[in-house]
Amino acid sequence: MSAQAQPASERRRAKRSDVPVFAMGHRLGNLEVIVCCGTGGVGKTTVSAALGMAVAAAQDKRVLVLTVDPAKRLATALGLRGIGADPVKVSPRALHGAGLPAKGEVVAAMLDTKSAWDRLIERFAPNRGTADRILRNRFYQRISDAFIGSHEYAAMDALYELHQGGEYDVVVVDTPPSRNALDFLEAPNRLADYVGARLLSWLAGPSGFGRAMSFAASPFLRLADRLLGDDTLEEVADFVRQLQQLYGGVQARARDVYRLLRSPQVGFVVVTTLEPGPFAEAEFFTSKLREFSMPLRAIVVNRVLPEMLRNPNAAAAATVLEEHPQIATWLSSELDLRVTADTTRAIGETYKLFNALAQRDARQLSRLERLGAVPTSRIPLFTDEVSALEGLVRIAGLL
Amino acid sequence: MLEKLLRRRVIFVSGKGGTGKTTVAAALALLAARNGKRVLAVDVDAKGDLAAALGSRGAGFKPQIVQPGISSLALQPQESFQEYLNIYFKVPRLARLTPLARVFDFIATGVPGPRDMLVVGKIAYEERRRQANSRPVWDIIVVDAAPSGQVVSHLTAARSLLTLVKGGMITAQVQWVDQLIRDHARTTVVICALAQEMPVIEAIELDARLRAEAGVAVDCCVLNRLIPMHVTPAQLRVARAMSDDAHASRVRERLGGPPQPLTLALETAAELNQTDSARGRQLREGLRVPVIDVPLVVARSSLAVSRVVAEAIDEATG
Repeated sequence: MSAQAQPASERRRAKRSDVPVFAMGHRLGNLEVIVCCGTGGVGKTTVSAALGMAVAAAQDKRVLVLTVDPAKRLATALGLRGIGADPVKVSPRALHGAGLPAKGEVVAAMLDTKSAWDRLIERFAPNRGTADRILRNRFYQRISDAFIGSHEYAAMDALYELHQGGEYDVVVVDTPPSRNALDFLEAPNRLADYVGARLLSWLAGPSGFGRAMSFAASPFLRLADRLLGDDTLEEVADFVRQLQQLYGGVQARARDVYRLLRSPQVGFVVVTTLEPGPFAEAEFFTSKLREFSMPLRAIVVNRVLPEMLRNPNAAAAATVLEEHPQIATWLSSELDLRVTADTTRAIGETYKLFNALAQRDARQLSRLERLGAVPTSRIPLFTDEVSALEGLVRIAGLL
Repeated sequence: MLEKLLRRRVIFVSGKGGTGKTTVAAALALLAARNGKRVLAVDVDAKGDLAAALGSRGAGFKPQIVQPGISSLALQPQESFQEYLNIYFKVPRLARLTPLARVFDFIATGVPGPRDMLVVGKIAYEERRRQANSRPVWDIIVVDAAPSGQVVSHLTAARSLLTLVKGGMITAQVQWVDQLIRDHARTTVVICALAQEMPVIEAIELDARLRAEAGVAVDCCVLNRLIPMHVTPAQLRVARAMSDDAHASRVRERLGGPPQPLTLALETAAELNQTDSARGRQLREGLRVPVIDVPLVVARSSLAVSRVVAEAIDEATG
């Protein structure tokens, strides 16, 4: 029996004893920043963690895996409980026990968006008084949670800081699960736009919203007052006015972040499954990366079904099992087992389902090269769930 | 259960990204239409995936008919804001590039309170629309809502805004939106999940948060993409014996194709059966609402998938 034709259980056993190669770890390990992107539900967090491990396995590097997801997924995936704002080193002994003979080390961190925003305000405010006024503003208190692209911006900013800090050789960042992957790329500019919008200058006004100001005649203000009540607009204006003092700093930072993202030491890794929806997102995202001149370095295709399930002759065999009840009698004597027509039909139907899934996958696989001429990893579908460290190590070896 | 669900005025469909929210929303819209209701299917982002799942090319801000009895629209905060100003303040539509329009755009899309408020505000406005004979324009509104991370802030937007805005016309309007959202008789959430670790955890968290933080009713959870067949030990034994070296070549000859892929499919299905039932148990233990099992569907078009999922929901709840 050829290796291809072994049943699943045997193949899996064989695969585990193979020496993992961590090829992606060798290939991408010379980058300083690896940004993993993809749409929700494709296993992006898992792949980022595994990628960090592959780098540490291949090279003597200090690797930070940074997740920005509010759902604390990396913590679960790494088998760690209660990751705080401080990075946590993944125990080398645990890694070794899970089958990862790491040359380097892996540190995991979770970005706390709220405190990242507070730090950002403190950093860019011209003085303590301005910082305090912003931090106390009720609008600000809601914004750091729900501002469009706020997670994305905080992630970009933290990524930049970590890279500048130089404490880690490689930073692998798992991007936030926005429905629109582009939010991540556009976040720095968008924030600079908001803070700097000249339009808001006149809204904020040189001396604010004095009730007797000539503004009172402006249709906008009359409308806004009817809409919101008097004090609210005053408070918004104060917020905008304070925020504008941050403009220079934020704009410079946005420029720096973009420069970093376009630099040769940064690489983007797109993670996708072969389902039509996520794959279409990946196609869109890679085209946008090209447009933004940001370098795509690798593609990871997750949850790929074994090629064997696309076998058309097996589909013919499945049809025989489904449609000819008398085959059960023949099989019964051949296998010396009790075989009913229900059993043979069920076997045929089950193959047909997986064959249909595998064929749907194949349509996407044929378009894979169009995503970009970069190394591609295919991670098979694991029927047992990948959440423990061992699972991550298994994926790291396949990358 | 389905009957009760379809008596609601507004159904928000949420869950972790990738759990099939759009398909489930489309399926519910199809079921409602089949029960003779005039349905509005709302996509909360402008991508128009929901319209696609209902067999249409895409949706705009104005409702357009996508299936018999179903109209669809995609929410766009700027458009909602302009419409709002137009309806309540008789402010004419503003040209895109005037400074005033850009300030409005900023407020509508950039500031979280108003932006989230516009999402639910537009839905509440559609709920309130009446025909000349005072019958509602829509019998039911099905919303392909934001994923679990963001849907709570949408559903609490009205209440948050009430804490920020003191006075002004908006207070009364926001109040009725809040009343609609928190009215358990009219508004509900359907949570989508997959039989995987994170989708299950997020579904359970979302159920708890919706009750505690948003005060919104949750009617049920749809556990999506389950393996439709249950592989028995007897089937597995036969499938494995077929690939055994002692029989494989004769079986191949008799069936006209190799048995090994069949064995692999059975083994894969059997393993997935185990995670399906383990995660299904975890979900049922963690949730306070019924769980509807929906099988994995493979079909050529997303409309075809929506139709099969609609049948499955109908069958599971009937």
